[in-house]
Amino acid sequence: MTDSILKIQAVRKTYVSVRTGDTIEALAGIDLEVPAGEFLAVVGPSGCGKSTLLSLVAGFTQPSAGEVLYRGQRVTGAGPERGVMFQDYALFPWRTVLGNIEFGPLARGVALTQRHARARELIRLVGLDGFENRYPHELSGGMRQRCALARMLANDPEIWLMDEPLAAVDQQTRTILQDELLRLWGDAARRPGAPTVIFVTHAIDEAVLLADRVVVLARRPGRIKAVIDIPLPRPRPAQRGSPQFAALVAQVWDLIRDEAAKAIVEEIDR
Amino acid sequence: MSPANVKVTHGATRAGRARHLLLALRSVLVSVAGIVAVVLIWSLVGRLLAHPSLLPSPVAVLGALRVLLAGEIGADILASIVHLAAGYSIGVVIGLLLAVLCARFENLDVFIEPVIEVLRPISAIAWIPIALLMFGVSESVPIFLIAYAATFPIFVNTLDGVRRLDRLLLNAARSLGASGNFIVTHVVIPGALPYVLTGARLSLGVAWMAMVAGELVGGDAGLGWRIMWYQEFFAMDKVMAIILVIGVLGFVADAALRGLQRRLLGWNPVES
Ligand SMILES: Nc1ncnc2c1ncn2[C@@H]1O[C@H](COP(=O)(O)OP(=O)(O)O)[C@@H](O)[C@H]1O
Ligand SMILES: [Mg+2]
Repeated sequence: MTDSILKIQAVRKTYVSVRTGDTIEALAGIDLEVPAGEFLAVVGPSGCGKSTLLSLVAGFTQPSAGEVLYRGQRVTGAGPERGVMFQDYALFPWRTVLGNIEFGPLARGVALTQRHARARELIRLVGLDGFENRYPHELSGGMRQRCALARMLANDPEIWLMDEPLAAVDQQTRTILQDELLRLWGDAARRPGAPTVIFVTHAIDEAVLLADRVVVLARRPGRIKAVIDIPLPRPRPAQRGSPQFAALVAQVWDLIRDEAAKAIVEEIDR
Repeated sequence: MSPANVKVTHGATRAGRARHLLLALRSVLVSVAGIVAVVLIWSLVGRLLAHPSLLPSPVAVLGALRVLLAGEIGADILASIVHLAAGYSIGVVIGLLLAVLCARFENLDVFIEPVIEVLRPISAIAWIPIALLMFGVSESVPIFLIAYAATFPIFVNTLDGVRRLDRLLLNAARSLGASGNFIVTHVVIPGALPYVLTGARLSLGVAWMAMVAGELVGGDAGLGWRIMWYQEFFAMDKVMAIILVIGVLGFVADAALRGLQRRLLGWNPVES
């Protein structure tokens, strides 16, 4: 693949526990290439290193071995071209919804009127009209998540790194946001220069619905168990409930079942 | 999320406000009752045990207070405020500066923190003899003591606040394109502000005490100095009146900082 925007080559990540001194092998030997414009989903049981993988691409942490290359350059730190939506939102508690959303443009020196116009557009898009002056602690979990989504989008990043972005919303909102996300990404008509997405989720049906490919991770140590192509036609919202969709979900579930069972047993043992 | 949901929240807030008001009213009543009790015990003890010139009655003290307020106490209050403003500013600036340096440079931290930890438990009052030798009887004594006392609480709390900054928020800021000074002004400072303001209030409390002590023994003006002045004339009613003024002013100063805290930290669910 020549136009891979992201190359992850033989990446390992080992954490050392400060308390016990034990080493935890969060990721062991990950190889992955992501072509520009792809929607890639990552699934796997909790603790298999999904968040660690995103942190490495975001540049928050460095691999213990191997390389993460973004547009051919080794990733050494975070940057606005790689937008992140965090698992627990990471909204700035002292900034309002509007203040959070325009943080990125403000940091990059975008003029006030432009910044505001874009922020208002995004507020409407994620359905937070009327809440622009609320602080994060005054919002529900779902609203915080939508605020975090808008904050990431405000920077128009080239790649969206999303860590379980829809985990805290109810089923109905979740469906709406999935469709919205697909639309924003370019589900119906792929524009050139459309964003690349790495979407971490624990919901297999969600991964199959959204993604071009699904990466299944296994744990202890975290590694790639399978990469599954999702050849469903787009736009995808129409595919919910199609037999093909159900068959693919079952296929991914077969792969992940053993891992999930192991994870549950380990949880109980502990 | 849904409009219905929002209405519920608002309703709950209104009911909550009414309850809040009732609670506030009750606490005011309890406070007033407390003050009345103290005044009663005071006049009783004064009548039964002590000589009236040693422990003047509340009425006598109020009379003295009226005389003082009509006369020269304004100059004393002003002198004390000048001492406090000078000493407190110096102390807070030093405390903040040291905390920021410690947070920024780990080597410096290893050097400064032990020094601070040794000095911190030493009361400002213990430095009075040295301050007197260094400055002589002058406004420099209270200012020095106030600055000394005020430095520590703000230092400790600010450093704590900066250290507690959420890694996640720093990561979020960086991935949104922020760096260097922007992170300091838009993440580090607002994130640490609740701790800084708590430190500022604690500093004000100890500064106030250091002010009275410094003026009492080493000053040439101010409320503390005036206490000594009236004591030499054995005017205990005036002494008590000034103590009352010191208490009330201290309360007002703390209330002002509390108000500032509420204003600046509206976003903080714990503070508001
Ligand atoms: N900062 C860290 N320090 C130590 N161990 C960590 C750290 N972050 C993650 N881990 C460990 O690495 C493993 C993978 O974690 P994570 O990437 O968060 O998994 P996931 O997101 O799939 O649940 C887990 O065992 C976790 O405990
Ligand atoms: Mg995770």
